[in-house]
Amino acid sequence: MILSISNLSKKYQNHVALNNITIDIPQGIIFGLLGPNGAGKTSLIRILTQITEADSGKILLNGIPLEPKHIRAMGYLPEERGLYKKMQVADQLLYLAELKGLSKQEAKSRLKYWVDKFEIKSWLNKKVEELSKGMQQKIQFIGTVLHEPEIIILDEPFSGFDPINAQLLIDEILLLKEKGTTIIFSTHRMDSVELLCDQIALINLAEKILDGNVPDLKKQFKKNQFELSYIGQINLENLPLEMVSVVQKNNLNTALIKAKEPMSNKQIIQLLLNTDINLISFAEKLPSMEEIFIEAVQQKNN
Amino acid sequence: MVHKIYLIAKREFITRVKKKSFLVMTLLSPILILLFYGLIFYFSFNKDLTDEVKTIIISDHAGILNEKLEPTKTIQFEFNNGLEESQATIEIDEREAYAILFIKKSEKGITYDLIGKEQASIGVVSTLEDKIEQALKDQQLQQNGINQELLAQINKTRIDVQTRKITHEGIEEGNSGLTTAIGYIGAILIYLFVFLYGVQVMRGVIEEKTNRIVEVIISSVKPFELMMGKISGIALVGLTQFLIWVGLVAVLSGPVSALVLDLMQVNPTEISQQMQEAAKTPAAQQSMKAAKQSGPEIFKGLENLNLPLILGMFIFYFISGYLFYGALFAAIGSAVDNETDTQQFMLPVTMPLIFSFVLAQTIVTNDPNSSLSIWLSMIPFSSPIIMMVRLPFGIPTSQILASMAFMILGFIFTVWLAARIYRIGILTYGKKPSYKELAKWLLRKN
Repeated sequence: MILSISNLSKKYQNHVALNNITIDIPQGIIFGLLGPNGAGKTSLIRILTQITEADSGKILLNGIPLEPKHIRAMGYLPEERGLYKKMQVADQLLYLAELKGLSKQEAKSRLKYWVDKFEIKSWLNKKVEELSKGMQQKIQFIGTVLHEPEIIILDEPFSGFDPINAQLLIDEILLLKEKGTTIIFSTHRMDSVELLCDQIALINLAEKILDGNVPDLKKQFKKNQFELSYIGQINLENLPLEMVSVVQKNNLNTALIKAKEPMSNKQIIQLLLNTDINLISFAEKLPSMEEIFIEAVQQKNN
Repeated sequence: MVHKIYLIAKREFITRVKKKSFLVMTLLSPILILLFYGLIFYFSFNKDLTDEVKTIIISDHAGILNEKLEPTKTIQFEFNNGLEESQATIEIDEREAYAILFIKKSEKGITYDLIGKEQASIGVVSTLEDKIEQALKDQQLQQNGINQELLAQINKTRIDVQTRKITHEGIEEGNSGLTTAIGYIGAILIYLFVFLYGVQVMRGVIEEKTNRIVEVIISSVKPFELMMGKISGIALVGLTQFLIWVGLVAVLSGPVSALVLDLMQVNPTEISQQMQEAAKTPAAQQSMKAAKQSGPEIFKGLENLNLPLILGMFIFYFISGYLFYGALFAAIGSAVDNETDTQQFMLPVTMPLIFSFVLAQTIVTNDPNSSLSIWLSMIPFSSPIIMMVRLPFGIPTSQILASMAFMILGFIFTVWLAARIYRIGILTYGKKPSYKELAKWLLRKN
């Protein structure tokens, strides 16, 4: 585990921000910290980045309790982006890297890599305020990763990014992951990171309600539902299946069916093939993160 | 920690010094200041040239002036003893006079009524009073057998009190004019520096907060480091600017004052006469005194002023005073989202600063060793300014040490206080906090 958080709690005057949170994050994965606005994600991140301190609990980074020298191991892109508007791009990036503890020489040589990669040489001597919003976001991203942190924490990374830059960001994140960097995502838009995340933790009202790797969670919360399209009339009367919904369009039926008892996909396909229909497509319907979240919250409340 | 403060201070310094406005202000300010003072002097000394001469008609029913009153540069007198008040308007219009003075005898004594188309200015009234009083005194003296020549001689009497001070080494020659001037310059510099750059610190903090860069920065450094880096970086900008100014003023003041004197075409004695008339506040009187002492006399007593001590103390109070107030300004900046919200919090910080500056010019200069002066030079809110004014008069070492100790404790306290507010404030957006909330921030854990 690169990061292991145990029994972390944080209280503000009027409300509890984090209540006894325990999360383990293995090295080299993309970890999603999901939950609605105000759930406590940013509070957790601020503790990880050592902006604030927890009231109680422990955080270990590679087995060592978190301490000030670890700020170099972290790169943080806050939800509210910002740069010094009047400062030149190169000065700004070097400054951010130096604050993280890099020497000027190191910072310069690492900057060169990103300059070539993003082809921003001509922008280096421009002031930030002269750049377009998309450019500023690229600069900010470079500022987050320039010191080559072991852990990158991105708070709502896609908010404000246009689709092209968002894709660019995703590509870079995947590349960093390949190099062994651990990436922590925090977002309230659960659908947006479902595909990227290897593992997630769901946070609601200051508490962790669920965590694990994404395929496992989907399996755990699946409702034995299947989506199929077919031509013809289907009769499920003598089968251990029931129809949830069906839509007909141009002779083609699209239906959602549910297995009355747990069955493998193979068994169901065999059952369907024995009916009179002409099966066009078949897919297991897995719950979306959002559905899992809602269900987990309901379970918790009961 | 020191390295990070250094990095932050360096950024603050470089970005500010590189700005065009810094260069423009640095070069332009001394020129503007010189021009400003030049203009003030020019107009105040050439008042006679620019102002037209006023005519005051005197209708002396009582017959006390013998139709004789010496004119001044701005007022000339004409006598028309037969005038009645009912004729005043016509007479003023016909002779384009400023006003008519009716002098009448009544059972209460002699009355003086000045009637004009506009309210006569205080300057005119007091000149008129002075002139008539002088004339009446002269009359009485002559009546008592003192002749014109003797009177002229008597009126020439001038004395100049030399101040000396008893110290352990004996009696030293003092120079209260110069002493005050030196204390003053120090106090003004500290006042300006604290004010101008304290506000810069506040703006800088607000800027970082509204830019939202602050969260990125404090994931790399501690809020305390960011605050101290900012305060010290801006202090360096200020020091640089002051050094350039001092250099520029030193180079430019010679030719400029020569130019001004040339433009005024007045001789120095006239200046000192006019300055005496202008002197009203004790502070102004003191500097007049310094100005009156011509030539080498002004430097008399300089060797007895402990200049190294004054300079050392100036640097100490300059820096500690700025730290003391700068930290408070930083705290204000962190507590709000924009500059318009700062008003409410600025007042308690700027009030003591302005208050001590005003007191320095009046009470403290008049009586540098009164208990009020001593107390004001102990309280860190006022001591940087008050102490600079008191110091040249020579004060016991124990007081200096006590004041310095309080000052150091003071800025440690404000820096601590500010850091407590700052660490919470920079991450808090939205509603402007109340004083009660700020107090809660002080006690809140990180």
